[in-house]
Amino acid sequence: MLLELEDVSVRYRKIEAVKGISIGVGEGEIVTLIGANGAGKSTTLRAISGLERLSGGEIRLEGKRIDGSSPERIAGLGIAHVPEGRRVFPMMTVRENLEMGAYLRKDGDALRADFEDVFRRFPRLQERANQLAGTLSGGEQQMLAMGRALMSRPNVILMDEPSLGLSPIMCREIARIIRALHTEKRTIVLVEQNARLALALAQKGYVMETGRIVLEGPASDLRENDKVQHTYLGVA
Amino acid sequence: MDTVTLIQTLLNSVVASSIYALVAVGLALAFGVMKMANFAHGEFFMVGAYCVYVLYALVGLPFPLAVILAIPIVALFGLVAERLIFRPTRKNILAGFMATAGLAFILQVLAGQIWGVGIAKSIPTPYMGAADVGDATIGWQRLIVIPCAFAMLLALRFFLYRVKLGKALRACAQDPEIAALQGIRTNRMTALAMALAGASAGLAGALMAPIHSVTPYMGHGVILIAFVVVIVGGMASIEGAILAAVILGFIHTFVTTVTDNLIATMVGVGFMALTLIVRPQGLLGRERA
Repeated sequence: MLLELEDVSVRYRKIEAVKGISIGVGEGEIVTLIGANGAGKSTTLRAISGLERLSGGEIRLEGKRIDGSSPERIAGLGIAHVPEGRRVFPMMTVRENLEMGAYLRKDGDALRADFEDVFRRFPRLQERANQLAGTLSGGEQQMLAMGRALMSRPNVILMDEPSLGLSPIMCREIARIIRALHTEKRTIVLVEQNARLALALAQKGYVMETGRIVLEGPASDLRENDKVQHTYLGVA
Repeated sequence: MDTVTLIQTLLNSVVASSIYALVAVGLALAFGVMKMANFAHGEFFMVGAYCVYVLYALVGLPFPLAVILAIPIVALFGLVAERLIFRPTRKNILAGFMATAGLAFILQVLAGQIWGVGIAKSIPTPYMGAADVGDATIGWQRLIVIPCAFAMLLALRFFLYRVKLGKALRACAQDPEIAALQGIRTNRMTALAMALAGASAGLAGALMAPIHSVTPYMGHGVILIAFVVVIVGGMASIEGAILAAVILGFIHTFVTTVTDNLIATMVGVGFMALTLIVRPQGLLGRERA
């Protein structure tokens, strides 16, 4: 396993948002966490990035513990986080946002190639390279947040609700990009409320309810599961 | 107002604007990154002026060298204040406020203890003479403030928009959590912001030393104006601070020339109140997302 969560708990003051979950992410896999609002999905991603402290359990990257490290250090270990609500730097240009994604890198030539790679993936960003990120549409900001994550050459990409608030066309576009990343053997942890989209993209899925994992398995099995169909896919 | 007075007042306005901009930019920069107001910022200005007093008037170094040395010295004050005051109190706004206000008093008393209170320190004017602009004249000592302030502000702008570290500082001001996810170390950025704030306030104080009366309490008047400037400009906005510094520099100088200093301060604060009614986020500030 490339990334492992073992019995991870996160507590906000008195409320336990994540209650002892275990997740395994293999290299080149897309693993999805689905569930309702407030189930603890985002908190789980934030815990992996070091933005939340664990109240219990361990997180390991390539077998080495990373929980307790600062977000800056975890970023340096090759985990990129595409946050909920995109959170691009609004008063910086598209290009500057991408530069910030590559903040820790010092390999100039490869960096230039990666700029071109991101612009090839997201031609819209190239057109708007010198525009302030705050003036982009929601879909463009999502692309920028993904591009920013790719600029760090991550081993693992955490994506928090990439389809949230986007038009159906833009959702399909985001799905196409995630699929392309999968064919390049990128490792992705995808958090989504849109379970249909998430289970179509992922190989493995975990269903979270109030901080616990209630179901897990291959995405194809989860798609056929009665409870998942009924609760998350809206199949009567 | 006749033409001569008008030209004179215009020139004085530019000088005032330059100093306001230097002081306010540092305050805005520090606030942007730390979301904490430094009430000791006026004392950084004071320390800058005392640097020139000590190095130029007492030790006898050339004036330009004394001014240049004031920049890193006061920057160091900023760094130490960040490490000892801002970083430990970052999570508690009230504690931070009390601590920086306390620092202001400590620096005042310290300056008073070492160099005495009472009459202002007299600093011999390094550049005598005056320039003729039309029929008006303005002392060289005032005039050189303008290019020095411009150079500092341009250097700051270059750093923030062209250098990777400066860009990281802006990123950290806009969203510290997301900046951390890119690998940017917040502590390093707050230290950097405070060093830059100290550097620019120190330069302003150093340039003003031969013009202004140098006393341990000279930071008072400056900090009031600097806060007005930063609030009008939009708390965390560098460009806003510069724009507001120019506007308020002109307002203050013109009102002072026509009436007096007290009324000028009242008009300045009134302008701030008006700005807050029309545009609560400040001239170039943005509403919090």
